[in-house]
Amino acid sequence: MSVLTTVRNARRTVRREPEGVQPRGRVARLLSLHGGATFLFLYLPIVVLVVLSFNDSRIVGVWGGATLRWYRELAGEPAIFTALRNSIVVALVSTVVATALGTAAALSLERFRWRGRRAFDGLLFLPVIIPDVTMAVMLLLLFVQLFDVAGALFGLRAGFGLGTITLSHIAFNVAFVAVVVRARLARLDPRLEEAAADLYAGPWRAFRHVTLPLIAPGVAGGALLALTLSLDDVVITSFVSGPGSTTLPVYVFGLIRRGVTPLINAVSVLMLAGSMLLVVISLTLQGRRGGGALRAAVPGRT
Amino acid sequence: MSGPTGPVPAVSLRQVTKRFPETRLDDEVVAVDALDLDIEDGEFFALLGPSGCGKTTTLRMVAGFEFPTSGSVHIHGEEMGHRPPDRRPVNTVFQSYALFPHMTVARNVAFGLEMRDVDRSEARRRVDEAIALVQLRGRGGAMPGDLSGGQQQRVALARAIVNRPKVLLLDEPLGALDLRLREAMQVELKQLQSMLGITFLHVTHDQEEALAMADRIGVMDAGRLVQVGTPAEVYERPRTRFVAEFLGDANLLTADVLDPSRVRLPDGTTARIATDRAAGSAVHLSLRPEQLDLVGPDEPVEHHLDSLEGTVARIGYFGSAIEYDVALDAGGPEVLVTARLGNSRGVVTREIGERVRMRWAPESATVLED
Repeated sequence: MSVLTTVRNARRTVRREPEGVQPRGRVARLLSLHGGATFLFLYLPIVVLVVLSFNDSRIVGVWGGATLRWYRELAGEPAIFTALRNSIVVALVSTVVATALGTAAALSLERFRWRGRRAFDGLLFLPVIIPDVTMAVMLLLLFVQLFDVAGALFGLRAGFGLGTITLSHIAFNVAFVAVVVRARLARLDPRLEEAAADLYAGPWRAFRHVTLPLIAPGVAGGALLALTLSLDDVVITSFVSGPGSTTLPVYVFGLIRRGVTPLINAVSVLMLAGSMLLVVISLTLQGRRGGGALRAAVPGRT
Repeated sequence: MSGPTGPVPAVSLRQVTKRFPETRLDDEVVAVDALDLDIEDGEFFALLGPSGCGKTTTLRMVAGFEFPTSGSVHIHGEEMGHRPPDRRPVNTVFQSYALFPHMTVARNVAFGLEMRDVDRSEARRRVDEAIALVQLRGRGGAMPGDLSGGQQQRVALARAIVNRPKVLLLDEPLGALDLRLREAMQVELKQLQSMLGITFLHVTHDQEEALAMADRIGVMDAGRLVQVGTPAEVYERPRTRFVAEFLGDANLLTADVLDPSRVRLPDGTTARIATDRAAGSAVHLSLRPEQLDLVGPDEPVEHHLDSLEGTVARIGYFGSAIEYDVALDAGGPEVLVTARLGNSRGVVTREIGERVRMRWAPESATVLED
């Protein structure tokens, strides 16, 4: 047994290649067919969208030659840029706040025992499972009540706008960040934090020098998820937005109600490009940071 | 503080009790039960016991990872109370090493000095010194994940001693190493300890490790300290059946006390042994296998030895030693007494079924408390 342990220790640094069996014959053909169909199903709409955004014709089914006309027309719509700016502001603010709160929630759930922990654990994940519409109605009602109270007690006049949108996005994003960070924390050996404390690091320095660097990929992943969810959200945002505080997805949704125009195709392609950029950044970050630290964070005994 | 004069102990536990909540049963588990212990300054002290006996909890209360439910922990005379680990003059070598995987060896070792804002050049000098001390010179730039288990162990050691703690706590530090490495590290740890003069509190379940390294051993069972003494005292004079059986092998014989200096053995013969138990009470007698000697049944027994007769039932060959399990004439065939004879020149080998007489010096037998 002890000899085995040494052998395993020696091998631990070697990256293990996934072992798999190569399928053969009919199974192989069926599998590749299935794979191809899945890809088609996922990516055909994207291809259609991109192609149509360059279509010089107002009618969807007719190809009128390639053009950049719709993109040019976009540039002449100031409302789109306001909506884009709103989206980015809301996404950045809500991501930063939700990441901080979500990470804190994950830490307290994973590392500490306190009264009401189990209840908080269950309640925290409600936003992940309840339908967007329900969440939206709840937030709407809450804000209306709050405005009433604020007006009656302090004479404050507040209304729906970017503030309420940002607060709402924080509310659902905290749960998602907490889930992602917690998964990462659960795999972190708690003795590392004890070792930091043992070596004279107070709680804050232990967190900054040991815990945070080791859960950083999880925190970054949670933040990117929050960013994406915030940029994507239509339902909740449209319930709690006010005049002049439209975000980009809500704006596009509004355009659609007036009929599908090639303009929408162009906006959608730009949004698609933005999302893909985020995904690429996220993958690059995780590839660089994850590797070494990720493997070594698993405690000494394998 | 109780006790008269004398130097202040490095670690002093007074009536320390630790209870953990048992959530499923809505109950409490007593991990450590009214423990009293003084560890002298500069001593290598081993807490020995099976898993779950409370030894690691005891160590964690000295380190500050747990706080006693009641009782007090003093380090060099200072009451620790609820002081957190980062403000205690102790450092820990963890069982799984707990090296920071995102830092180089040198940064791991420097961590404690950095956290105490030790001057940079001074810190570098001490880090180099500590790395050299554990024979890892030149590996300061390596990542922990690229080191072998033994090397990681050394880094963990360097990371702790670089801070010059008053007490070094070692939680099964050799548990994850293979046998050869473990034996080599035992020698090194012992040398390091006498060189540095730091008090070591070493928690282990390995009796050989404790016997080989410690100045004193505290044997724990079910949250209580059963016996404290030098390795020789604990091994040769076990107080209870638990200690006798946990440290090495022991033959346990039932006997009746005749008077303060004699007991009657199962076969009716008497053996000489000092005991303060009342005449007529039934006791257990512990005899170490290596204290027994085998002779032929007809050979005369010197008057200063006690003996028992029986038949060889089993033979175990271990190279350096041979073990004979002897079925006693009295007490039925199930009572086997093991004698371990060194396989040295001139030793007479016995066959299964052969009649033998086992002899021992009265002072090598011990009456157990329970």
